Amino acid sequence: MSEEINVYNIAQKILNSLNQNNNIKCSEVFLDKKNYINIEIEENSIKNSKLATEMGISVRTIDTRGSLGFSFTNKIENKTIERIVKTAIKMMKSGTPDPDFKKLPDLCNSYPTVKGLYDDKIENLEIEDSSKYVNDLIKVCEKDDKAISQSAKFKSSCNETYIFNSNGIEVFGKDTICSISSNIIVKDKISNKTSFGFDWQSVRNIKDLDSERIALNALERAKQHLIRKNVKNMKVPIILTPIGTINVILSPIISAINAENFQYKRSFLVGKRGTKIGTDLLDIEDNALIEGAMGSSSFDDEGTPCNNKKIIEKGLFLQQGLLHNSYTAAKEGIECTGNAIRASYSSLPSIDATNFIFKSGNDSKDDIINDIKQGILFEYSGDSANISTGDFSGLILQGNLIEKGEIKHSLNNTMFGINLLELFQNISQVSKEYQIYGPYRAPYVRVDNVQIIGNKD
Amino acid sequence: MEVNEDLKIFDEKLIDKFNSLSHNKIDYWDIRAGISTGNSIEFTDKKSKEISSYEVIKCGIRTFFNGGWGFVVVEDLSRNSLINKFQKAIKLAQLSESLCNYKFKIKASDVVIKNFELKNKVPLENVDITEKINLVKEHEKIANNFSPNIKNTLTLYYDGIGNNLFLNSYGSRIYQKLSLLRVFSSVYAQKNGIIQRGVNSIGGIGGFEITKTNKAKEISFLSAKEAINLLEAKSPIGGTFTLIMDPKLTGTFIHEAFGHACEADLVLNKESILEGKIGEKLANEDITIMDDPRFGKGPKFGLPYELYGSYFIDDEGIPAQKTIIIENGVFKNYLHNRETASRMNLDPNGHGRASSNINKPQVRMGITILEPNDWKVEEMIEDTKNGVLCEDFQYGYTDPTTGNFQFKARLSYKIENGVKKELMRDVSLSGMTLEVLNNIDAIGNEINFSDGMCGKGGQSVRVCDGGPYIRVKKILVGGLR
Repeated sequence: MSEEINVYNIAQKILNSLNQNNNIKCSEVFLDKKNYINIEIEENSIKNSKLATEMGISVRTIDTRGSLGFSFTNKIENKTIERIVKTAIKMMKSGTPDPDFKKLPDLCNSYPTVKGLYDDKIENLEIEDSSKYVNDLIKVCEKDDKAISQSAKFKSSCNETYIFNSNGIEVFGKDTICSISSNIIVKDKISNKTSFGFDWQSVRNIKDLDSERIALNALERAKQHLIRKNVKNMKVPIILTPIGTINVILSPIISAINAENFQYKRSFLVGKRGTKIGTDLLDIEDNALIEGAMGSSSFDDEGTPCNNKKIIEKGLFLQQGLLHNSYTAAKEGIECTGNAIRASYSSLPSIDATNFIFKSGNDSKDDIINDIKQGILFEYSGDSANISTGDFSGLILQGNLIEKGEIKHSLNNTMFGINLLELFQNISQVSKEYQIYGPYRAPYVRVDNVQIIGNKD
Repeated sequence: MEVNEDLKIFDEKLIDKFNSLSHNKIDYWDIRAGISTGNSIEFTDKKSKEISSYEVIKCGIRTFFNGGWGFVVVEDLSRNSLINKFQKAIKLAQLSESLCNYKFKIKASDVVIKNFELKNKVPLENVDITEKINLVKEHEKIANNFSPNIKNTLTLYYDGIGNNLFLNSYGSRIYQKLSLLRVFSSVYAQKNGIIQRGVNSIGGIGGFEITKTNKAKEISFLSAKEAINLLEAKSPIGGTFTLIMDPKLTGTFIHEAFGHACEADLVLNKESILEGKIGEKLANEDITIMDDPRFGKGPKFGLPYELYGSYFIDDEGIPAQKTIIIENGVFKNYLHNRETASRMNLDPNGHGRASSNINKPQVRMGITILEPNDWKVEEMIEDTKNGVLCEDFQYGYTDPTTGNFQFKARLSYKIENGVKKELMRDVSLSGMTLEVLNNIDAIGNEINFSDGMCGKGGQSVRVCDGGPYIRVKKILVGGLR
């Protein structure tokens, strides 16, 4: 925060002035600041270095009818702030009544403590010192004779969040993130075919960053997809890799259990609470309190305390298995789950998972693959499920044929299709190995009877 | 033209200071600075969810030295802060240069000193928030009244007025004022446990007149109608079929599957199937594809505003221009920004675009169009034995290294022996870009386009794409049945 800006004074001044207005039921001031470094690699060479500070403030105010006004700016000076407070009121006045709006989060006296979300080495990182992480990525490609190019990114950021509301909430959080991503292109010198592979990592503490491993993973994936062949139509088991599990299972479930999608009946899981939607192996929780994890926080973006909750237990979709912000929770008449998320000061709180965890199983990944006579190893589709129907059909962008327990060639122009409710019932094995990608923790998952649409005559 | 108060800080004295600071240290610099204001309105089930207003400043200083770029984001537009950040940006270009393997120079280009302003019929400044809200309410009403089976409606409205300044070390000084507006309608219908969605939107560069056209007025009606029709639609049967794409899907194909491969930054990074293909015949000789983001196209389509993908100059100060990509089946040009053009020893063609002033310009499309020919859509259907007719798309994606793409169509009809039959939902289409391009065997006579936001490398920019109905000899259709 710049020396001349006192966030607490600004926020108090805004809340006090809004307090004078009898039509206003409650209001909130949200302020965030991001300091970040970006280094970009193109053609396996450093191309671009960027430094930025972004800071902004937003005002949300709700009147006694439940109508909401919102206004924001990044010009943190008195005149502009006075103007946006006025416009927020004007916006509020012009909205429609909403009896479902009950209140903003209440004052809370104790928040959970979550360790390991801040690393002073990231906050104080100089861009000159970041280059070593990037050089590790570059070296992996330079040493390999099939790798012809790499695009990659290094980003480190320090984020501060301030939330104040008229119920007395006054919270401040500071955390750090460092992430790298690598996308490597390989070429087979004989066939002239090319292929790509990617990997990424996000950490809270810079000592956990492992650039070399990320580039090696990307390289290995790229090579795994160099030989592509068409396959015949078939109904076979597929093994989802951790990235595949995120793509096909975890990410659609997050949208489907978003209370807003649920309340507007836009989710294929509506009506399924309290019922068994999958085999015993489908076991999922949303846990914001894991030390050092990417999705962890002690409060959400409205100032509600975060926690750990079960979503699906041994295939049973729990009655309380939805993700809420304060609005959707009040509408349902329950306590908020602490899942309000804002991309920045410029957006109203929406709903998202914190750390979304698929419980690991007992089988080893190699045993699961060895067991397959004919099947597909599924890494990534690029597609996503239709949340309102649960239908998921897409192109397998990265996937391999498995025959007699061995991973064979990659797939050319091959699609798959299944409804997620059917998929959940067909989960037959879950690996003990898992991988963490950002806020996701995912194992290998075997799903039986998946329709594969090939193009082989 | 009145220069915005916040941007007056960039006077001759400050520019001289930048030039003296950068002299003999770096090869090139540019600065983009702007202030934008606007509103967004979101209604769902006839109730307001969000009514908001904003005022933001975005400024980015970009520097270049011998193959390395530097970029610094500035929010405090005071003289001291700008000079301080400019010096930092110089250091960043030097840092990038010291670490990069490929050295190159940027080719100098013409100096542009010009003010651009589009005069709008109904300037947004003159429209009160209540009038904007009434428009959204009207769309909500239309969608909700369409049928008792409509269960959830969403209407989004957003507009913005941008005052932007571009400066560079060659002496270009460009000031522009543009406003834009977009309305989006999403409607869910439900019956017997089946949920279906219809989505339509309208966007343009201009003022509130954009909302007054027939095309804009019918978006909520169309969304509702589509959602209701889709309730009765069947899941598709997978297999290989002849495909007829409507103008929206044609646009998606030439943008998503083909267009991105024409972006020279991806070509240099080996992420394009079109590397080394300039001069090759890629399609039959009736096929001509171009990208032309210049203003003036809206009126050509009978619209009182400009197309959403239009711009005067790109974000590197290069004027928008028409670029032929494929001419009579032969691949002619990549799309370039300053860097890629310099490295391929060509002139830039105005495709360096950024999502905002605080992001670096990448190579991006603007308005991408496949030229029409002589088929009527009815003739195409009559001439097709075993096929699908697909209208509108939900989304699409492409493997850049192989050209394997997939699109999800919104509305699809079976064609049997020349007759359009049952409606199908969620039809997935996939193929290899160059094979499909080469398999186009009929091109329609009437052109249409759609507008949207295109994402690449974490940035999204406004674009348009389109063409006529086209027919592809065979394509793989995925389905659940």
